[in-house]
Amino acid sequence: MSAERGVIGGSPAASSETGVIHDIGYRRYTGRRLGRVQIVRALYWHSLRSAFGIGRGAKAKIVPVIMFVVICLPAVANAVAVAQGQPRIVPYDTYLFQLRVVVMIIFVAAQAPELVSRDLRSHVLPLYFCRPLRRSDYPLAKLAAFITACLAMIEIPLLLLYLGTVTQAHSGSAIWHQTKALIPGLLVGLMWAVLLASIGLALASLSGRRAYATGAIAIYFFLTWILAGILIAVTQRNVVRAVLIHPPPGAPRPPGVPASGPILVHSTTQVPTTATHLVGLVSPFTTLDGVRQWLGGTSPGPVLGVGHYGPLYGAMFLVLLAVSVGGLFARYRKAGA
Amino acid sequence: MSSIELQNVSRWYGNVVAVNDITMSIGPGVTGLLGPNGAGKSTVLHLIAGFLAPSRGKLTVGGVPSWRNPDIYRTVGLVPERDSVYAFLTGEEFVRSTASLHQLADPPAAARRAIAIADMAQAQDRKISTYSKGMRQRIKVAAALVHDPQVLLLDEPFNGMDPRQRLHMMDLLTKLGAEGRTILLSSHILEEVEQLADTIQVIVSGRLAASGDFRAIRRLMTSRPHVFLVRSSDDRRLGSALIGRPAVTGIELTRGGLQVQAADFGAFSRELAGLARDQDIRLRELLPEDESLESVFAYLVES
Amino acid sequence: MTMNAKFNTVVASITLRAVFGRKRAILFAIPPLILLLVTLLLKAARPPGAPWPGRILGDFGFSVILPLTALIIGTSVLGAEIDDGSIVHLLATPVRRSSVILTKFCVGAVLTMAFVAVPELVAGLIATSGASKLALGLFVGALVGSVIYNAVFVMLSVLTTRAIAVGLLYVLIWETVLGNFVSGARVLSVEQYSLGVANAIAHDKALNAGLTLTTALIMGVIVTIAALVYATRRLSEFSLKGDAV
Repeated sequence: MSAERGVIGGSPAASSETGVIHDIGYRRYTGRRLGRVQIVRALYWHSLRSAFGIGRGAKAKIVPVIMFVVICLPAVANAVAVAQGQPRIVPYDTYLFQLRVVVMIIFVAAQAPELVSRDLRSHVLPLYFCRPLRRSDYPLAKLAAFITACLAMIEIPLLLLYLGTVTQAHSGSAIWHQTKALIPGLLVGLMWAVLLASIGLALASLSGRRAYATGAIAIYFFLTWILAGILIAVTQRNVVRAVLIHPPPGAPRPPGVPASGPILVHSTTQVPTTATHLVGLVSPFTTLDGVRQWLGGTSPGPVLGVGHYGPLYGAMFLVLLAVSVGGLFARYRKAGA
Repeated sequence: MSSIELQNVSRWYGNVVAVNDITMSIGPGVTGLLGPNGAGKSTVLHLIAGFLAPSRGKLTVGGVPSWRNPDIYRTVGLVPERDSVYAFLTGEEFVRSTASLHQLADPPAAARRAIAIADMAQAQDRKISTYSKGMRQRIKVAAALVHDPQVLLLDEPFNGMDPRQRLHMMDLLTKLGAEGRTILLSSHILEEVEQLADTIQVIVSGRLAASGDFRAIRRLMTSRPHVFLVRSSDDRRLGSALIGRPAVTGIELTRGGLQVQAADFGAFSRELAGLARDQDIRLRELLPEDESLESVFAYLVES
Repeated sequence: MTMNAKFNTVVASITLRAVFGRKRAILFAIPPLILLLVTLLLKAARPPGAPWPGRILGDFGFSVILPLTALIIGTSVLGAEIDDGSIVHLLATPVRRSSVILTKFCVGAVLTMAFVAVPELVAGLIATSGASKLALGLFVGALVGSVIYNAVFVMLSVLTTRAIAVGLLYVLIWETVLGNFVSGARVLSVEQYSLGVANAIAHDKALNAGLTLTTALIMGVIVTIAALVYATRRLSEFSLKGDAV
């Protein structure tokens, strides 16, 4: 194809009689090309937006927006109550545990496939990797984006609660007290976000079909969560305590009991056993709670104390994280899938 | 009996009208459904095949509506466009199962016959997942023919076929059409339909733009000049004589001959011989330049 | 709409091959395996606490294992074919739509029974060391649940391409969360129908059944038939979209 180079432009003062042939043929891009860092950053930003359905139609926003509103509700409600003089009852480190579990299961199961399964289904990976993008950059960007999304879901309610409480505080020490309680909560939230995002993406990357990915993620989290809860309930031991009580003289006594002197009373309580301490490892949520308690968290949670097994929970957390992240990166080592 | 009748059929999705008030009648022989991509050809085929309900209008195949009427499939065979077939079955199993579902008396025999017609006997015991695209098309045709249907509907049947497979398919369809079956195929590739179809239905933007024999359609469009290529003993002299005639609207001297644009085909063809004789010029060749479907198509689309 | 639906062996064999041909087949073996594993572990550990067979096999089994396995199976007997379009080859034949639905539903129900009801029976026998009302109750309850769940999930597969997500929402939110907090919701919960039947045989408080046998059976039958009828109706209106739209 012959290219006829013409004179383009020229000064306006030039002769008005000259004709100009414009060659709008194939042109090369000669501008600046952005490098690997910018690509990763663009991929990160785009994935973060996908996690909340931004940039897609309205239907893609339904689930993330509803889940975000639901998880913020207790924080907002408590903040409003605090504004009216009530105390802050929602703890920073566990928040409302059950609610957080359900919301995060739905959020991760619905949104992780949006980040990862779509690219697999449309076989777009070879296009990504023929750019200056290393094999490990793609999962890195996706993971960073999804961790950020989960962080937003978990930490923003905590921050809302904190701000609501702190603006009502009247002294510096009260503010400091709140801040001291918030920081561990934020750290726990960070652990949640990192672990849940990793597992979610790793499972989602196994399938190009979003429905199957959603199913796999939801089934894994849901099954292990219910199982852990039931096992915790079932492995406890009944302990019967005999207590001697001394009612004051003249106080009414139930029939069949001697009229004076101390009374022997039996009470049955449920007490965790070794097994109870260990079954928490079954589910990522109870593992996270176990780690929290091991690191000194005091608010009550589904795990009934870790006893000597705290390090085991820490190890389990790291193992789950390593397997998920490793699996995710290994998945993308061969592209074109 | 084996005719397809559409009367004022329309189909819309919300605000988008995919098929706009089409009335047509399709009878035995090979009919081509032509149109650019997105014109609504697939929609019309799906409507006829009973896989879409008309939003308005009446549509019957052999006298009965095709929507929600599984019995029409006893006489209708469909070769859909989508590549999806049961990939885990072998070709033979797929055609044989289709034969069983058609409640044929001897499914294996019917399957063997249909596979032979589609020239897939060599690959019939391999899983469909190992087939090339052209082979998948052919096994779909075999499955559509297994119950010996009077009506055959094909959506873009030559997709993915190499020239040899395409020729074979064209021979097959011609033969089936000559047997008196009603064959309707959709395509946007004009050369295929040009050689195959006795009648064409042209659909542009959901509307029926033209129907009938394509040469006849061509002749109907007298608003556009016809272009002919004339080769003679003296092209230049012939050209200068022709430009004086009112039937001729343009002359171009090319290396291949004299390209003549004629507004009035009838008048031009009558005058050319007389003109050449008067000028003592020998006519060697007279070819219509653009009577292929291509230009019919292009004119229709542009107008 | 004709109700002369017959079980169609050709459709059944294609469905079976389709279900087991995909790698996903492994997925529905996992939940029952987990159930058996947990049962064995608990049996060996002999926890002294609350009566665990009822809670594990009933609560966990019927609120998690049964619905999730039934979901995977019930959506794969029809969903994948609709999704990739290969259902057209089935529908472009005179086979009755009601036969298609009935056949696929039967295949799904039988598979679910094999993969959930039988493990429940086995686990129940292991847990209670021998034939007992609990094991029998769990088995029958799981049989009933397999039938009803598959009817619902096959219907969902015809209604929407996102049947798995909708089914999950139903199990996670409607059955688990609402079912425990809003007692009225129990009447519309398949889990409760299954538990009601199981409880009628086993009489075990740990099952946490909220409905009587009569209610459970009546609602179960209504839901199953309604789901299958509606699925047949929607399948007979199955539409292929055109190219541009």
